[in-house]
Amino acid sequence: MRSGIFTQGKRAARWTAAGAAMVMAGVLAGCGSDGGSGGGGGTLTAYVYGDDAVKVQQAAVKEFNKTSDVKVKLVSVPGTDYVNKLRSAMGSPSAPDIFFNWGGGSIKPYVDANQLVDLTSTFKNDATLKDGFLPSIVTAGSLDGKVYGVPMRGMQPVMLFYNKTLFAENNVTVPKTWEDLQQAIKTFKGKGITPFALGGSDKWPELMWLEYLLDRIGGPDVFRKIQNGDSSAWGDPAVLKTAQTVKQLVDDGAFGKNFNSVDYGNGGAPTLLNKGKAAMHLMGSWEYSTQLGKAPEFAKKDLGWTNFPTVAGGVGDPADVVGNPTNYWSVNARTKHKDAAIAFLKTMASKSYAQSLVDNGDVPTTSNAASMLSGSPNPKFATDQYEMVQKAPDFTLSWDQALESKIATPLLTEISKLFAGKSTPEQFVAAMKAVK
Amino acid sequence: MSHVSSSPKVRGGRKAAVGNVGRPPVAWALPGILFFALFAIVPLAIAVYLSFCHWDGLNSPTSAGTANWTRLFKDPEFRQAAWLSLLLTTISWVFQTPVALLLGVWAAGRQRSRAVLSAIFFVPLLLSTTAIAMLFHALLDPNFGVIKEIGPWFGIDPNIMGSSTGALLTVAFVGGWQFMPFHTLIYQGGTRQIPQVLYQAAEIDGAGMFRQFFHITLPQLRNTITTSSVLMIVGSLTYFDTVLIMTKGGPGTDTTILPYLMYRTGFQTYDLGYAAAIATALVVVATAISLILVRFSGFGNMRSTREGM
Amino acid sequence: MSIDTRPVTRPARPLNRTRPAGAARRRRWGNPLAGLGSLVWLVLVIVPLYTLVSSSLMHQDEALNGDPLAFPTNPTLENYRTVLDSGFFTMLSNTAIVAVATTAIVLVLSIPVAYVAVRTRSRLSGLAFRTFLLGVAIPAQAVIVPLYLLISKMGLYDSLPAIILPTAAFAMPVAVLILSGTMRDVSEEMYEAMALDGASPLRMLWQLAIPMSKAGISTVAIYTALQAWNGFLFPLILTQSEENRVLTLGLFNFMSQFGVNIPAILAAIVLSVVPIFAVYLVARKALVNGLMGVGGK
Repeated sequence: MRSGIFTQGKRAARWTAAGAAMVMAGVLAGCGSDGGSGGGGGTLTAYVYGDDAVKVQQAAVKEFNKTSDVKVKLVSVPGTDYVNKLRSAMGSPSAPDIFFNWGGGSIKPYVDANQLVDLTSTFKNDATLKDGFLPSIVTAGSLDGKVYGVPMRGMQPVMLFYNKTLFAENNVTVPKTWEDLQQAIKTFKGKGITPFALGGSDKWPELMWLEYLLDRIGGPDVFRKIQNGDSSAWGDPAVLKTAQTVKQLVDDGAFGKNFNSVDYGNGGAPTLLNKGKAAMHLMGSWEYSTQLGKAPEFAKKDLGWTNFPTVAGGVGDPADVVGNPTNYWSVNARTKHKDAAIAFLKTMASKSYAQSLVDNGDVPTTSNAASMLSGSPNPKFATDQYEMVQKAPDFTLSWDQALESKIATPLLTEISKLFAGKSTPEQFVAAMKAVK
Repeated sequence: MSHVSSSPKVRGGRKAAVGNVGRPPVAWALPGILFFALFAIVPLAIAVYLSFCHWDGLNSPTSAGTANWTRLFKDPEFRQAAWLSLLLTTISWVFQTPVALLLGVWAAGRQRSRAVLSAIFFVPLLLSTTAIAMLFHALLDPNFGVIKEIGPWFGIDPNIMGSSTGALLTVAFVGGWQFMPFHTLIYQGGTRQIPQVLYQAAEIDGAGMFRQFFHITLPQLRNTITTSSVLMIVGSLTYFDTVLIMTKGGPGTDTTILPYLMYRTGFQTYDLGYAAAIATALVVVATAISLILVRFSGFGNMRSTREGM
Repeated sequence: MSIDTRPVTRPARPLNRTRPAGAARRRRWGNPLAGLGSLVWLVLVIVPLYTLVSSSLMHQDEALNGDPLAFPTNPTLENYRTVLDSGFFTMLSNTAIVAVATTAIVLVLSIPVAYVAVRTRSRLSGLAFRTFLLGVAIPAQAVIVPLYLLISKMGLYDSLPAIILPTAAFAMPVAVLILSGTMRDVSEEMYEAMALDGASPLRMLWQLAIPMSKAGISTVAIYTALQAWNGFLFPLILTQSEENRVLTLGLFNFMSQFGVNIPAILAAIVLSVVPIFAVYLVARKALVNGLMGVGGK
């Protein structure tokens, strides 16, 4: 009786208008017994995050439907409310059979509610899947040692992008260390250029700063503890140091004055970079295709990229990477067409699918990807990105995806307050320790 | 409400003589009542019920006793959101009522110029909240919007959306921009219904324009003010689209008003039980304010049934 | 309020106690303060609207670099083409269906409720009326979670009825209030006269109450249609696929789809308002008078 809200807590019923409750109970009776797939008659509904990359999945679906009896129906959910939409749908009879996710904490509630098909043995027994993907990527998306997702998009490490012309004109070296970074901030500020573009209104671009700073300051294990449910790990001195560094950066004007009202989603921050109003931009690797779409000339000539610099006194490995290893398809345990769903998922490992990802400017996470990258629209960017991920001793999953939404949402709020100067680093730590 | 409606009206005396001839069966109202109950009252009852549950939207709800409510009264975020909602409502009312009142009274005149201006004033009402929020979001972009050019002329920081008071004021202004025509129209309609003879009498007494306004126009518009205020206050308390699109509750939590807090708690944190508690609190507050307004203004006399007459 | 001798067919004024006299009024409202205020407000209304239209005609680059108040140097309709190619007509027809259906349901259901509320004295109808009165204060957000469940269970999730039904329900309180307000102005004597002729309640509704409440009915129709046209929360939560997307949601999605392509976003806004604007041009009087009626007396 999924979401049969009157099947439990009968005691509580005395508080509600009993008559009305009875009407509703009648309406709700028998819920959860209808299998829950989006539609019968041999269709698999697949929810996908609706952005430019959807066309790759659309092509894959078209190809799959040519031969399969069970047809896949791709539903492209606009990015801004993908997570909400998915969550609401998964709690209702109109849940998708297959859905896009980020692995880790993003699927934990569904795993806890036994809503996902455990793909561990499928992976073990199937050569296509087992050998098809980089093992570290498959592991990054799994939960408690069990595999729930098949990689289906490119890798998305967070990189430090910069405007080459501005660096050349002002004689600034691309920062490798914290001293370089501070020098760069000083120089650019002096010239009236915002050192770092930051879409603070969207909150998650601010999160990227904490992810990298914490890794560089305290190493990847601090967050790993948090991810594993130890909320006291927010009390680690490295977290406080991270928050203090953020405050220092904000006070130093590293992000300019307006970042609170700049957003990424509407393209404010990327535009600052390509118009030469900001010198650098810490962003996921999708920034490249964003820039390619908005300012093709700039993306081809003036856009530079590098790793996040070291932080003085930090213990983290400067080769560590944060971001999204990739995205995954997971299968709803209530689907009527499990075999067809898995058959569709297997096509993600095919060479032709990887090729279409490459053509779209993505770096696939299939094991054969390296050899294909020369065909990418920008081979240099694709190769650098691939190597950056391959060489990274540790790849920390974006915190807002690694953590369950009940922690991730307050986290984003607290980060926004920290950046806006509405809370001190100490208050930030205290607030996060209190989130359960 | 029952007290409100019991005051005798002009028609009372006449009513007594009328029998039950030709009165419609109450059953005629049933389809409408059932429909409204199914899609509004029953969901509301369920929301109240859910406020006593823990529910993540995926598993079945479990009883939470009064946990959500105890939390509500201690939660600093809720307190802040309630305060911000109150603030936004007050600012909106203080901003919109005088402007709409003046504009409405002014527009009630039948000069051609006024008709033309009124026609222009009306246009924002044609745009959806979504469109208006997006429009102002673009206009107020600190780097690329009009505000960058015009703001400094009036001493407005282009980063207005990034400052806490600025963001709240902006949200209030955008709401006003959208709904001002509506309230102006209400006042315009109200003013045109004021019996002309009152003004003629005042003129004979030598009352000036301001005295006429304060002694005739304002008192005569009392019920119009109530109607407009109730709609305005309920509207501000439930303001949501604009915040979602323009500020996402930020900077920090400085525009996280109650409906947005509810949305965030329910649809981003998936604490649907607590979200239901916030929603219920919102309904209680909105209803209470409307009731108070209606009672104090005697608005109910006009609008409730003839029961008891 | 003496005995009303007007013929039945003549539509009632919303208020029969007033007789606005245009000529005498002319001189009366010459308030310079309000006149000045109205000019300020005019600027505040015009500037955003002007920017909306002018920027929507700009190339993306000009919109970002140039003076946003300047007229586009090289106007283009390209942004409009971009938007029209993004399924605009599907959204337009969906929105129109939602607006028409919602209005129809609200009228069909609210008129009898108001009629009963005004014409009967039973406790039940009083209670129902008060419930509707309080319904004005129920925010749609408060019930969105249970509504989501309800719509899902009814198998309506991601369909146009999923938007229409709740939108209609939430428009009913105001509709009932307005309608009963105008129906109450129909004088008792006229009902009595019809009753003497042996008219049934249905005939009284059809031949007296409805014709006499035309003003209120058009107010309700316009108010409801605007609400439905501009609704956002119900489509956001209760629909999903492109086939069922309405304009407001489409706009919201354009925002993430077009990103910083501000001209395209503005073009989408302009296009979304064009149909309503057309109605406004054709039927301005009805629209304005209709909405004026929300204030009642």
